[in-house]
Amino acid sequence: MEDKIIEVNFGPQHPSTHGVLRIKVKLDGEIIVEAQPIIGYLHRNAEKLAEMGAYPKGMVYIDRLDYVAALNMELGHVLSIENLMDVQVPERALWIRILMVELNRIASHLIWLGTHGLDMGMLTPFFYCFRERERILRIFDEITGSRLLYNYFAIGGVYSDVTPKSIEMIKEWTEDFVDKLEEIQAILGKSYIYVSRTRGVGKLSPEDVLSYGVTGPMQRASGIKRDLRKDSPYLFYEKINFEIPTRTEGDVYARFLVRVEEMRQSARIVKQVLEKLPQGDFYNKKYSKPMLVRLKATGESYVPTESPKGEFGIYLIGDGSSIPYRVRIRSPSFANLSSIPTMLKGYKIADLTAAVSSADPVFGEVDR
Amino acid sequence: MIQIESESSTKNGTRIVYVSKDNVLPFLKEKKEEGFDTLLMVSGVDYKDHLEVIYHLLSSTNNSRLIVKAKTDDEVESVTSLWKGANWHERETWDLVGIKFKNHPNLTRILLAEGWVGHPLRKNYPMEKKQFVNLAEDGEDRVSFENTEGY
Repeated sequence: MEDKIIEVNFGPQHPSTHGVLRIKVKLDGEIIVEAQPIIGYLHRNAEKLAEMGAYPKGMVYIDRLDYVAALNMELGHVLSIENLMDVQVPERALWIRILMVELNRIASHLIWLGTHGLDMGMLTPFFYCFRERERILRIFDEITGSRLLYNYFAIGGVYSDVTPKSIEMIKEWTEDFVDKLEEIQAILGKSYIYVSRTRGVGKLSPEDVLSYGVTGPMQRASGIKRDLRKDSPYLFYEKINFEIPTRTEGDVYARFLVRVEEMRQSARIVKQVLEKLPQGDFYNKKYSKPMLVRLKATGESYVPTESPKGEFGIYLIGDGSSIPYRVRIRSPSFANLSSIPTMLKGYKIADLTAAVSSADPVFGEVDR
Repeated sequence: MIQIESESSTKNGTRIVYVSKDNVLPFLKEKKEEGFDTLLMVSGVDYKDHLEVIYHLLSSTNNSRLIVKAKTDDEVESVTSLWKGANWHERETWDLVGIKFKNHPNLTRILLAEGWVGHPLRKNYPMEKKQFVNLAEDGEDRVSFENTEGY
């Protein structure tokens, strides 16, 4: 038989593309010679939309970037605006923000873990993960009033206080979450099939990680110990004890271990926040709701934050009016996904879903 | 050493330096050798009378940041030879802001369909004029102003 390169289209409508990703794969037999990701199917230009209204109005679009971790997206936006306008935020609001963001990080990682298991042919972890995530969403529902897209962080604080009932719910959740996580990790990590399909697959070297601008759990799985919560602390992360999990293998299995360990550390942070949560105002009374849209700003601001996918930040340029002149979103999934050609080259077609889902792309954020 | 035209900083103290558009590639190369090993993003701003291209650099070893800006009319040298990640970011900047990158390996639109008219992040982009995209038989996107010819 003669050598023949076949071109196969993977997606955009495929259950294991985590959204609308299309990959043009060139195959030699079952070896991937070249993989070219094609994105943009969910594009709605959030940057332009956010440039069309007052500063707080951009929040609803920023919410919809990474819709499984909406609070982490809101945090990047609100910190950047507050930095630009020199807004003082009461301590209690900052602690509430840490609490919410870490809970949302766990929810996001749980979705990843469930769907990643699904991609690897295992249905059970999906149900277990969504059962645990449901409990977090009920807590969010109690505090913010919505389950997926919250619009909860306001300039100068948060929109509503944490109620005693929700504190009880969180306490109840922290008691057994780590045990449940152990259970879920065992289903995947102790499965011979899962481990042999992920170990040594989709490798990224530290040089490639830096060259592509890959951040977050993927970077830490390749042996680069960076976490913005430690490196350039925002909110009160310097007052909290937690560790940064790192692995050196840089393969899919290492990313799995890093993300699971991150959930444990986030649960640890949530426990500490509950102990340290001070009494007081939950928003700055100087910034009452109707006047928020009239706030004016000049200058530039970029506050990097650690979202579940990596470094997220919003670069704002103000021109002195109440509408931002330029809003630029640094989206971690976009940069992480651009490393796919390197991650797939030389592997077999069956490794494709494992490698793609290990990048944890959320297309609201890639396509913006 | 490459001449810096002017300097300022963001609200939280990140240094911003302006270089001339011909010096972008040599300046960034010099900075990469100094330890700024990550290119976080490339973006562009339309200031009505000129365009500006912006590079966000990060040093992962000592955690320092630098923002490099250059005024341009519509073309700068590509930095894909320094960072592989620049490829997608430059394509996005071309797609949405309309800044061309010389010597880029594949400067096509990335988020919008090939054949789209205009660059949405320009301040004079007509927002009321809708464009419709359809998939042609050869698998490529077609863009039209008629609402019957696409979605």
